[in-house]
Amino acid sequence: MTSRNRLLLPYNRPNRVFLLKRLIQFLLVCLLANAQSPKSSPPPPGYAGSIMCRGCHPDISAAFFRNAHFKSTTDEKLKFEQKGCESCHGPGKAHIEAKGDKTKIIAFSQMQPKKILDNCLQCHTQQMGRANIRRSSHTTADVVCTNCHSIHKSATPKQLLAKPQTDLCYGCHQNIRAQFSMPVKHRVNEGFMQCSDCHNPHGAEAPTWKMSARPRMMAQGLQNEEPCMKCHVDKRGPFVFEHAAVRVDGCASCHVAHGGMNARLLKRPQVFTLCLECHNGAGNFGRQGDGIQLTPPTHSLTDPKYQNCIVCHARIHGSNSHASFLR
Amino acid sequence: MNILLLALLAQQTVAPTVEPVGVPRGNTIGDYNVRQSFETGYRFANVDGNRGKYRSDVNFLNGVRVLGTSLTVNSRNGKGKYFDEIILNTQGLGNDPYQFASMRVEKNRRYRYELTWRLNDYFNPGLTIAFGQHFQNLERRMQDHQFTLFPGKKIQFFGGFSGNNQSGPALSTVNLFDTRGNIFPFFENVRRKQNEFRFGGQAQFAGMKLFWQRGWEFFKEDTRGFLDQPGTPLDPLVTNTTLANFRRDHPYHGSTPHWRVNLFTEAAKWFTVNARFTHSNGNRNFIFDEVANGAVRGGARNVQTLVFGDARRPVTAANLSFSILPTSRITISNHTAFHQTKMEGDSTIRQLTNGTLDSTVANFQFLGIRAVTNSTLLDVALKPWLSVQGGYQFSDRRIRSTELLNDAGFIDQARGEQSNRLNAGTAGFRLRPIKGLTIVADGEIGRQNRPFYTTSEKDYHAFGARAEYKQKYFRVAAQTRNSVNFNSVSLFRHSSRARNYTVDGSWTPSTRFAVDAGYQKLHLDTVTGIAYFLNFNQVDRDSSFFLSNVHAAHAGVRTVVAKKLDVYAGFSSNRDTAGSGAGFTTQPALLAAQVFPLTFVSPQVRLSYRINEKLRGNFGYQHYDYTEKILQLQNYRAHTGFLSVLWTF
Repeated sequence: MTSRNRLLLPYNRPNRVFLLKRLIQFLLVCLLANAQSPKSSPPPPGYAGSIMCRGCHPDISAAFFRNAHFKSTTDEKLKFEQKGCESCHGPGKAHIEAKGDKTKIIAFSQMQPKKILDNCLQCHTQQMGRANIRRSSHTTADVVCTNCHSIHKSATPKQLLAKPQTDLCYGCHQNIRAQFSMPVKHRVNEGFMQCSDCHNPHGAEAPTWKMSARPRMMAQGLQNEEPCMKCHVDKRGPFVFEHAAVRVDGCASCHVAHGGMNARLLKRPQVFTLCLECHNGAGNFGRQGDGIQLTPPTHSLTDPKYQNCIVCHARIHGSNSHASFLR
Repeated sequence: MNILLLALLAQQTVAPTVEPVGVPRGNTIGDYNVRQSFETGYRFANVDGNRGKYRSDVNFLNGVRVLGTSLTVNSRNGKGKYFDEIILNTQGLGNDPYQFASMRVEKNRRYRYELTWRLNDYFNPGLTIAFGQHFQNLERRMQDHQFTLFPGKKIQFFGGFSGNNQSGPALSTVNLFDTRGNIFPFFENVRRKQNEFRFGGQAQFAGMKLFWQRGWEFFKEDTRGFLDQPGTPLDPLVTNTTLANFRRDHPYHGSTPHWRVNLFTEAAKWFTVNARFTHSNGNRNFIFDEVANGAVRGGARNVQTLVFGDARRPVTAANLSFSILPTSRITISNHTAFHQTKMEGDSTIRQLTNGTLDSTVANFQFLGIRAVTNSTLLDVALKPWLSVQGGYQFSDRRIRSTELLNDAGFIDQARGEQSNRLNAGTAGFRLRPIKGLTIVADGEIGRQNRPFYTTSEKDYHAFGARAEYKQKYFRVAAQTRNSVNFNSVSLFRHSSRARNYTVDGSWTPSTRFAVDAGYQKLHLDTVTGIAYFLNFNQVDRDSSFFLSNVHAAHAGVRTVVAKKLDVYAGFSSNRDTAGSGAGFTTQPALLAAQVFPLTFVSPQVRLSYRINEKLRGNFGYQHYDYTEKILQLQNYRAHTGFLSVLWTF
């Protein structure tokens, strides 16, 4: 069978093996094309080259091969001004001639936050995670790249963070730090997970739960839902009988996210108060303002078993077989 | 570097050791530089009191562990033959409840491979939940792999896989055989598995970047519930129902294919644009098969319930953001988001009682949520030391539902629709009056009409401020965050007030000494109108009141003795003093749920002795003290620690 005939299989559906071969060929061609002989370009006016920086900054240059930015120095396809130290710090010739005058070079410690952001974003827009950085809460609070990242003295080999991630976040979010020290919490201090599992510190799209206003920097899950569902996949559904609160106002309707004093990160020490605060039949709320369904008359609050709602409503996050989440 | 490390004083668990070992510059092997460390030792734990609660909160147990490993390999010239960088870190391997590994292998401009692997040993007796009958002893394993190819400067392709498996024994409960019956706990063998496959790419053209991803998530749950022996009823006062045996199978399988497309530009001089579109289509099929044998009011009863059907949830979201930068001092950002979720499902429920089909009920359910939001933010740098910002957000949401029930020809249908709108404004400023001092304040006020839930945000405002003074080796900061919400309408009230105040500071005068301390006060009080039944009499206009006053403090000091011994001592305390909520209700059950005072304290000390350049001996001890003030049934005290060696070779 010729290649042409393969493409004319029933329903014109391309043969998968054929497509896979073509894809591999394409990738190989791309790789080979990229591996061609280097081109050199002369230094533009004002540039000195990274090698000149070593004399005064030996500590930085000696360990720079470990830095993610080091790859720019060896990429022969880049222009001279896109390589090494001067790709971030700008032309260094005047700085050298002025014997280290900080005003003659781009010194991040002397720059306004917005300038720092502009400078880093010249290259660092490859990842989609930074697509909302201009309107992120961090940016508007003047928390920009160098507040969290240390290019030359990073404490972590990945992401060049100035400190381990939890320490960085706790530095400003002390109230969250307190929550993660509570008895019931997500295991952030234990090293099992980190803040960026749920949050995007570079900004995010409007949340799809609540009224799209808050919280603002959530790294949304597969179905644009709360990041909780990234791990708690069994709660995602879809279910025939959805507990609407999960989708309408989100997991925070009943749970606190970081840590708390109550079992299972619930907002209340006893479950029934949490349930009754919505299921109270109050007008103006719920479907067509007819109230969220009141508990039935058989559920006397004096009976202990009715103070433990989920003892019967065991499938409270959603069920396929019972409208009241009993099974 | 040492100064930085010494300042790392956030109270982590006592192990692994954070002190470095080996030559900081690493070892050279061929064209590569290698740095690595390996810590192994014995972890111990001794628990007095409620061991189940300890395992739920802390869960460190005895045994030999590979507490932590670290490996970095870097090519010195950036032109490694097969790779330029390998980074591998692990934690807690061997049987710790929280195990983690991450790896990255990269060859510059060619490929990058990233791996994350985690294991969580989750133990939760659920003592205050469902009478302790929703016990769980589960293990969750998660992994994520991503391989990215860089065939050209302006194009890249990637493929990835994620897995999430959860398994283990658990307890659940079932109410049999009718509402006047009893509740019986039964065993569950939990088996859940999720796999996600994805591929995509990114291309750059005409100053724009295009990102696309196609993926499939597959989920299946094959949890089985059973009880092979006569059930023990939860309520001993109800004697009319007995359960001889019980079995429940409810396989639940499906997939969620999805698309993500993003188009954006950041490089333009005076504007940036980000357009994003995602669509996913969740689908699940299920069968539910339950058999219960027992007796009701003296008569034998066996009930078989069979449910089958499927559920769908297509979700579409689109976002458009653009920022205008007319001058270097002004940024105007606008974000428009559209989101639509449609959930619908069919199920047919057949129930056989004593071998006779007594009901067949067909259900159709629909829940649709559509939201549109637009927000605009203006940020102006008036002076190098003063910036102000203001914003406005408008959101419109519509929620529709349909419930259709066909019970042997009797059709009951209910439809509903409610829409609500939010108007919110934000404002803030940033001030740097002197070098090292930063003051940031922001506020938000929002008004929502017709919120869906009684506890939703309606008339709310939030305010936050933070001041920080920082010098090279000294830092002190204070912060407050307040949030108030009123959601009261005629004949109903709900209000909540959350007030957080924190102060913290650190001082690192030398490489041999560092100290860090902080205090946080977290206050929350909520009052919500509720209604319920007392012996078939409806009670309206009662209130659920909850009050929490958490006083949290932490402190840590680290010092180096004789250049050989690193000593760290830390302390973490959380104390909910609650308070008095008298006056909101007279119902004893509600009074008992108003506050939950407790104390959770955890001091720790760690010693790390530098034996030689390549070897350290470490010892750590951490104490946990959990004390409830009211019932004290869950109290525990635990002595945990470890003894380890950390070496490089």
